[in-house]
Amino acid sequence: MDRASLRFTWMYAMSQLRLKYRYTALGMFWNLLEPLLYLSVLSLVFSYVNRMRVSDYAVFLFSALVPWRYFEKVVSGCTDAIVQGDWLLKQMPASPFSLPLARWIVASIEFGFSFAAVALILLLVKDHWTMHVIVLPLSAVPWAVTALGVGLCCATLFTFFRDVRPVVQIALMLAFFTAPILFAPNLFDGASVQARLLVWHPLTYLAALFQKPVYAGTWPGPADWLVSSIAAALALTLGIASVRWARSRLYFYL
Amino acid sequence: MRSTVFELQDVSVSFRRNAVEARSLKYFLATRLRRQPKATLEALSNVSLSIADGERVGVVGRNGAGKSTLLRVLARIIVPQRGRVVVDPSRRVVPLLELGVGFQPDLSGAENCLLAGRLLGLAPACIEARLDRIVQFAEIDGFIHEPVKHYSSGMYARLAFGLAFDVEPDVLLVDEVFGVGDEFFMEKCLARVRALVAGGVTSVFVSHDLDFLQAHCDRLLWCDRGRLVMDGNPADVAGAYRERRGVFED
Repeated sequence: MDRASLRFTWMYAMSQLRLKYRYTALGMFWNLLEPLLYLSVLSLVFSYVNRMRVSDYAVFLFSALVPWRYFEKVVSGCTDAIVQGDWLLKQMPASPFSLPLARWIVASIEFGFSFAAVALILLLVKDHWTMHVIVLPLSAVPWAVTALGVGLCCATLFTFFRDVRPVVQIALMLAFFTAPILFAPNLFDGASVQARLLVWHPLTYLAALFQKPVYAGTWPGPADWLVSSIAAALALTLGIASVRWARSRLYFYL
Repeated sequence: MRSTVFELQDVSVSFRRNAVEARSLKYFLATRLRRQPKATLEALSNVSLSIADGERVGVVGRNGAGKSTLLRVLARIIVPQRGRVVVDPSRRVVPLLELGVGFQPDLSGAENCLLAGRLLGLAPACIEARLDRIVQFAEIDGFIHEPVKHYSSGMYARLAFGLAFDVEPDVLLVDEVFGVGDEFFMEKCLARVRALVAGGVTSVFVSHDLDFLQAHCDRLLWCDRGRLVMDGNPADVAGAYRERRGVFED
């Protein structure tokens, strides 16, 4: 992607962000309000179901659910980004990276707002804070890179095989319910199948980047950083390679 | 000697036919099991041509002859399956294949100028500096801060023209977009086009309007069924094209 394409992508993303809230009464305030409402409802429902203290469970749930929601939004948004960008790719010599990247930028900015909203809630419900939360901006990086990589792969695949969308939705659902986002990873006995599966689940390590500093008050471990970074690098490499491979073929499938 | 802006060597582009069925698993399996070749339509077939700096080239041909595909190859929107395309990278190529590319219906005219201008390679400050001139050309004073979805089709087209002609292209690729707007505005557009080509802008016009092409081009290409069948003086090519009613027989 050249510099001109990057500049256009940024401007397009900003215009999409502006348009999203243009005709709403609360405008950009929805960026804060929407995650607040969503997470409040979820924490109440799950703390009631799990019979846990609302404050404890809310802190645990929010810590990994916020980055997960961001990941899910990027992957779902990127999936049809190239196909819906035919207005651009069939009329201008634009980079196919621009369209998924713009969606990633919009979701990343919204993720920032969501995080601010969550921090606001946690300030009210969490008893005490530790300095480990300073690592959170760094924790967001592997999530963002992995999301972009997976999003680029899905965008390419969807252009050639439109059956990909329901598969992506199911895969996201499967990943969500099998990852330690709604439940703590130590829920299962160490020798159990579930515990062994969690060891191989990349989201276990990605989730730990947020859960440990926010909920447990500890630093993420070296394994968390290593696995998350490898997953991110692999996803991004595959994503970029897939779009590059498809670049000259895209026009014929739009 | 004038430098070459576009160089095409044996360029071929083909599209798969039956595109709707071709996406299904049934079609995929059936063609594989029966070892049927994929049905394709050759939109361009072994086209070779060279366009020099400052040339004004017209492209004529019947519907489906491959004119728009040729323009998209020149604009680097389509990468051909076979052949070689060389485009001078130092030129700002502005493809005007459809009016208002990059326009978002909910953005205002001014916001769309900034966005589409960026797409054409201009910085927002540069577009802002030209905005008054664009508005004046487009004759939409008072509406520039309204969403373009509320514009009439004429206003929309005028704004798109105003922007496209103000980005100072080195190369202009135009695909049959002069049929919109009232005749007075079209005359204004044509005057702007004449000024651009007189200023040495390399231009390629795809049109069915032979009179327009003869008046504004110094070279005419005739495409038929994906092939470049005639390339030469506009009067000669237009004469042959009219005489054979657009169909070239081998």
